[in-house]
Amino acid sequence: MPLPDLTVPALTASDITISEPKTTRLAVWRRWSRDYRSSLQGRVSLSITTLLVIVMALTVGVADYGLRLYASTVAERDLIAGSKVFQHNLSAQQNELRVAGEVVARDFGFRAAFASGDSRTLGSALTSLATRAHAQAAVVVALDGTITASPGTPAIDGPRVLSALNNGADGGVIMVGKTLSLGVAARIEMPDLAGWLVLVRPLDRRDMAEFARLSAIPVNAQVALAGQLAPDLAGVVPGQLKHRDGDGVSAPSGAELVQITTLPSLQNGLQPVLALRYPLSSAAQAYQSLRLALASISLIALAMGVFMASRIARSIVQPLNRLAAATASMARGEMTRVEIRGRDELSTLAQSYNTMVDAIEERERRITHAWLHDDLTNLPNRRFFQEKLDIAVDRLARHSRIIVVVLDLDDFTLVNDTMGHDTGDALLRHFGALLPELAPNAKVARFGNDEFALLIDYLDVNEDVATRVENFARKLVTDVYIAGRTIPLSVSFGVAVCPDDAHDGATLIKHAELALSRAKRDGKRTYRFFEATLDEAAVRRRLLEIDLREALRNGEFELHFQPLFSPSECRIKGFEALLRWHHPQRGLINPSEFIPIAEHSGLIIPISEWVIREACSQAALWPDDVCVAVNISPKHFEAPGLIPCVISALAHTRLSPNRLELEITESVFINEFAQTIDILRQLRGLGVRIALDDFGTGYSSLSYLRSFPFDKVKIDQSFVKDLASDASARAIVRAITALADALGMETLAEGVEDVEQYDALIAEGCLMIQGYLISRPVPVLQAIAVLARWNDHDTVQARLAG
Amino acid sequence: MQPAPPTFPMKRAMFAAGLLALTSATAPHHLAFQVVDQRGLPLQGAVVEIARPAGDTRPVSFAPHYGMAQRNIAFLPGTLLVPAGTTVAFPNLDTVRHSIYSFSKAGRFQIDLYGRDQTRSHEFTMPGSIALGCHIHDKMRGYIRVTTTPYAAVSDVNGLADIANLPAGAYPVTVWHPLGRGAEGEWHGTLTVAENHPNRITIATR
Repeated sequence: MPLPDLTVPALTASDITISEPKTTRLAVWRRWSRDYRSSLQGRVSLSITTLLVIVMALTVGVADYGLRLYASTVAERDLIAGSKVFQHNLSAQQNELRVAGEVVARDFGFRAAFASGDSRTLGSALTSLATRAHAQAAVVVALDGTITASPGTPAIDGPRVLSALNNGADGGVIMVGKTLSLGVAARIEMPDLAGWLVLVRPLDRRDMAEFARLSAIPVNAQVALAGQLAPDLAGVVPGQLKHRDGDGVSAPSGAELVQITTLPSLQNGLQPVLALRYPLSSAAQAYQSLRLALASISLIALAMGVFMASRIARSIVQPLNRLAAATASMARGEMTRVEIRGRDELSTLAQSYNTMVDAIEERERRITHAWLHDDLTNLPNRRFFQEKLDIAVDRLARHSRIIVVVLDLDDFTLVNDTMGHDTGDALLRHFGALLPELAPNAKVARFGNDEFALLIDYLDVNEDVATRVENFARKLVTDVYIAGRTIPLSVSFGVAVCPDDAHDGATLIKHAELALSRAKRDGKRTYRFFEATLDEAAVRRRLLEIDLREALRNGEFELHFQPLFSPSECRIKGFEALLRWHHPQRGLINPSEFIPIAEHSGLIIPISEWVIREACSQAALWPDDVCVAVNISPKHFEAPGLIPCVISALAHTRLSPNRLELEITESVFINEFAQTIDILRQLRGLGVRIALDDFGTGYSSLSYLRSFPFDKVKIDQSFVKDLASDASARAIVRAITALADALGMETLAEGVEDVEQYDALIAEGCLMIQGYLISRPVPVLQAIAVLARWNDHDTVQARLAG
Repeated sequence: MQPAPPTFPMKRAMFAAGLLALTSATAPHHLAFQVVDQRGLPLQGAVVEIARPAGDTRPVSFAPHYGMAQRNIAFLPGTLLVPAGTTVAFPNLDTVRHSIYSFSKAGRFQIDLYGRDQTRSHEFTMPGSIALGCHIHDKMRGYIRVTTTPYAAVSDVNGLADIANLPAGAYPVTVWHPLGRGAEGEWHGTLTVAENHPNRITIATR
């Protein structure tokens, strides 16, 4: 169903340059009319109205035609009946006269008088006879055509009457003087026919008036001679009905029905006719009121129809307009519902529309919820938290404070690894449910992974925040029971306070997170308030990250090499490549500072690739028995491009694969053990050597050693540092070397700084030494020199002895 | 209603006429007429009269007695030819009574009702035709033709009438019939009488 055209017609020049009000009204009317006709309401109304007008016009037309036809038929019938009445009347009069005439004609005295031939006697007898028979006159027509009449009778044409009588006529119209009269003849037989006694009675107006009275209809009757009819009746065939249209000239009374009937004649050459006129206007008059009533009913019905049509149209269009308005307002983002009226299809549509709006609203609510909430715990997410925090900061009153706490479960990764993700998720859910209980007035959110946040606002400035936080921290020391196991809850958190620490939500969160990382660093299961220095460190980190992106392109990286010394062979067997960053402003940056940033930002992968290529190309310049060791970040190890990168580097530098040693830490095993083994096997397949770095720290597990045949195990420098003072350190070193030896792996000790350590390590069976005792890491040019110096045996002996 | 049969003197006269014819060219002739109406149908009861030639003295007689009977509610014979001055008898042979009237100019009279086997009579002096009626039986019609010429006859059912003893020549003729269209029901004309010359007379009737 097309919606009404809602577009506003463009203003045309004529619309604008209207000066006369009349033209304005006309233009407005035209526009309104055009809009109305193109609108649905207008179209429906106009269609129904047009249909009604046609139906009504047809009805009235047909009814009027039928009425006219009926009136005409009735008039015809009436006229024929009237004609019959008239003729009946005529023949009744004839019979009356005939009876009288026949009686007299047989009267002996009359016949005697007739036979006497005395016209006076006969005339007087005829006078008395006429009186007796209520006739105008009585005449005797002799066989020779002579007329004997009562005295004073107007002239009668004897021979013509005789001729008619001889032809068998015995009654009819006869001319008496100049008057048309009714004549009846009776035979005078003595005993032969001797003549006729004719009684005449004039067809005067009295008779016609009587006839008109007897007739059921107002008929204008006239007896006339055929040749003397009114000119307008001349063409009418006797015996037939004729309709004559009233043209106002020939028929002054309007349309009329005419019938001419031939009357019997008692006089030869006389052609009397009865002319009946029936004005149809009078016939139709009876139906005029009926037609008026019909027309009135039609008009009323039409008016009601138009009213109903416009009502129906409005009832259809109004709900549609409401729907259209609701749709438009929905497009603007308002969830408007339509009022439902009635029980028709449009109300169903409105209902469907409302259902749709409900569904959309519900979906939007869900989307919004999902957008602002965390799936696992159903707590608000970081986004929502930030919004709430922004609002709280905006509304922050004087003498009031906001506390933002960011919490982190300590060693959650360990829980996930050792107990499975289901348990980890259960722990998160449990913690998410626990937090609101522990901090009833706080708004709780989960930032992701194992990080949660609390927002405590409207805190009075005089409130002791430190005590409050301390109480909260104490409550956190508890155990949780998950899947029948008891897990001690270990939470670290950082606290930032508004307005003390920051004046906006984002900064507050950042500060709290900085405080959290500080707490983590300072040993877990603790908390820290934000301090400004923390912030400086974070700013530095962020700036470094920005610069790091440029560093690779700008060639700010450099590899330094630290020798790997074999005491048994008394020579340098290789170098460990160590990354150095020459920051254009800050100078040399410590790897321990920028590597975490690179790992965090993902920059570690291009950097690591550069390191592999660079190390290989340098090593290619060295003697064939000197290899190069490269540290592979766990991030790079997990990335898919590691093996192609190694292949590419070896191919480009033509370095023998067994001269490249990749050092990995145990952490690569943590996430995907099977995949890690697979990658290691592929690398081994290339002929590359694999060393396990920093062994003995972190999540060290002897099972890792069993799972892959590493070429080398690097003993962490923490053990070397304590070697002299701590017997257990020495025991560990001994155990590692024994184990590695048993598994066919080389051992290398890092961070060897003095001869005591060196001796101890040799004593405990360590095969390789790395550290300042041999050489600090040196730039590539010096590496050759170091190599030349150390591989000269004499010099070495002297140094180690000295 | 056969015409009256010829009497002896009549036969004798006819015989004499026949002798006369054999001896003389001027001997009397026997004339035969046929009267028909305008349609050509024979007309019964028409009276043909030929005026008496000058000097002729033949007595006028058609029958020894003249009577008009009433039998079966009808006059019998329907038309009776009588010489002027004849008294006609009206015997009632019916079982009912009859009356007789006439309005005719030639003889106006009235006889009141009389019964069976009664006879009344009336003398007719004026030549002409007399129409007879019965007051109580409208359909009864009888006609008496009173004539002064001996040369007259009434046509039979075939319209035939014979007139004897008339010398040849041209004569004015009057034919009367009750339905004749002419005045007084008469037709006037001239007829040539010749030997074996049949005459056919056509008169208009109503």
